[in-house]
Amino acid sequence: MKTGRRAIDKVGTLLEWLVMALFALLFGDVIWGVVSRYGLGRQSPWTEELAVNLLLWVSLLGAALTYREHGHLGVDYCTGKLAPPAQRLAAIVAECAVLVFGGFVLVYGGGMLVAQTLAANQVSPAIGWKVGYFYSAVPVSGLFFVLFSIEHLLNLFRRPESIPLGKEGVE
Amino acid sequence: MTVAILIMSVVFAGLLLLNTPVAVCIGLATVATIAALGDVPTGYLTAQRISSGISSFSLLAIPFFILAGVLMGEGGMARRLMDFAFALMGRFRGGLAYVNTLTCMLFGSVSGSAAAAVSSIGGFMIPEMVAKGYKREFAVALTTTSATIGLLIPPSNIMIVYAIVAGNVSVVTLFLAGVIPGILMGLAIMTVSLFVNLRTGVGGSEKVPLTHVVRALGGALPSLLLVVIVLGGILGGVFSATEASAISVAYALIVGVGVYREVKLSDLPRILLRSAKTTSVVMLLIGTSQAMSWVLAYENIPQSVSNAMLSASAHPWVVLLLINALLLIVGTFMDMTPAVLIFTPIFLPVVMELGMEPAHFGIVMIANLCIGLCTPPVGTCLFVGCSIGGTTIARVTLPSIPFFLAMIVALLLLTFFPAFSLWLPGLLDL
Repeated sequence: MKTGRRAIDKVGTLLEWLVMALFALLFGDVIWGVVSRYGLGRQSPWTEELAVNLLLWVSLLGAALTYREHGHLGVDYCTGKLAPPAQRLAAIVAECAVLVFGGFVLVYGGGMLVAQTLAANQVSPAIGWKVGYFYSAVPVSGLFFVLFSIEHLLNLFRRPESIPLGKEGVE
Repeated sequence: MTVAILIMSVVFAGLLLLNTPVAVCIGLATVATIAALGDVPTGYLTAQRISSGISSFSLLAIPFFILAGVLMGEGGMARRLMDFAFALMGRFRGGLAYVNTLTCMLFGSVSGSAAAAVSSIGGFMIPEMVAKGYKREFAVALTTTSATIGLLIPPSNIMIVYAIVAGNVSVVTLFLAGVIPGILMGLAIMTVSLFVNLRTGVGGSEKVPLTHVVRALGGALPSLLLVVIVLGGILGGVFSATEASAISVAYALIVGVGVYREVKLSDLPRILLRSAKTTSVVMLLIGTSQAMSWVLAYENIPQSVSNAMLSASAHPWVVLLLINALLLIVGTFMDMTPAVLIFTPIFLPVVMELGMEPAHFGIVMIANLCIGLCTPPVGTCLFVGCSIGGTTIARVTLPSIPFFLAMIVALLLLTFFPAFSLWLPGLLDL
């Protein structure tokens, strides 16, 4: 069990660095768009396309990471008023909902999306890559959602006190 | 139609009450509704809407404005803006209260985040006010309400979110439309401070020597210059709103690391990660909401709501009051981003039927939901303010009420006098 948790922690750290690197790349890309337009007189055509797809990757991978830390916005007003056993039950249902979302929508639905765009041989206009590769952000992040929801569920079953408390606010 | 609404509402509300992440509630409510439609690939359709909803060039401004906000908060801009505000208003009796509100407004003009404003400004303003004899609860109530004004003063991420879902208004128009309403809200809050100052008599005036004013201006100038660069650049057509956001990150980086020297290079990975996480929360919400809007439109739900509301009363003022009341209630338990994402597609067609401009409604909606950020049971600014100020929600609620009333008065003015919002963009032919 311990090795399992350590492995998930490693995955989390790796994901953190990946998200940071992609975000830094995204920033560099948009700045390069402005610089190339004014400095070179002609904007590099690939900057916008790359930026939009990097945003998709940063957003979805970051969302999985944030979910692991219970950082998404939720309404904890009602569950906070429940007795501990009921609170635990509510948390289990909520985690299962995320599991379904990650598995059915992101992995299965997103997988279909990738398969279809790859089959249609859709190629991105500026960079020339297959669009399906860009879209694979959806099923890949879905796998992380599934992994982290299973981690949360195992924690809930093993240690009843590990109910997520406050949520960090956004903005 | 009614079955679809029923399924959507039950799944959404049920999951929401169990403290499921709001984005997941929206996503699964959409899935359930599409599944009820019958012969469609549910997961595929939802995944497709999510990915196309996020992959948008205008949305790119959001991560960058978030990153710039974090950099400015940690980079010492907030404190210098306070020094500047103090130089301007410290001479008045009870000036500290006005300084607080003005600092929040100035900070709002460089960043687009209310919670960041509460933590960076409240962190030094609240202890300062307490030391000068103000009640702690009053100081917290003042800071939390003042901080929300920044959402009306450009740049503002929530306006970008609104522009995306509304689909028929530009970010620049909204930015300009928010300026005067932001000032109006600020004046409303300052008026409350004036009365409290008069009644309690706390907070003396302080002489501010001219040298201090000059020094404070010098310190704040690099921060204030950002507004000129961002708004000037967008209005002058030098760069798009998205590019302006990236420029403001570069600028905040240069000022924070190079000029003020309060951000270390080794802090950058942490700042980057924090901003990426905040971004992802907003983006997942936007993605799933786009999926939900698609189903709503497919099922003609906005049209039905619109018909129902307009058949209840044809008088525009009644409908607008009704919408405002509903949004105030929604705002008490839902954060601003999901509320804007969910209710814009439903209410915007109604008010447009009544001849309201989308930019005007956007301002009204945001101003309305600002109040909800400071009200229990769920209020992001209130939570941050109470933890920063070392007090409890129960204690802050009573001193907050005058501020809420003042904000509601300002909201009603904004609702019924479109000129507050539309005059400035109209001046520039937007």
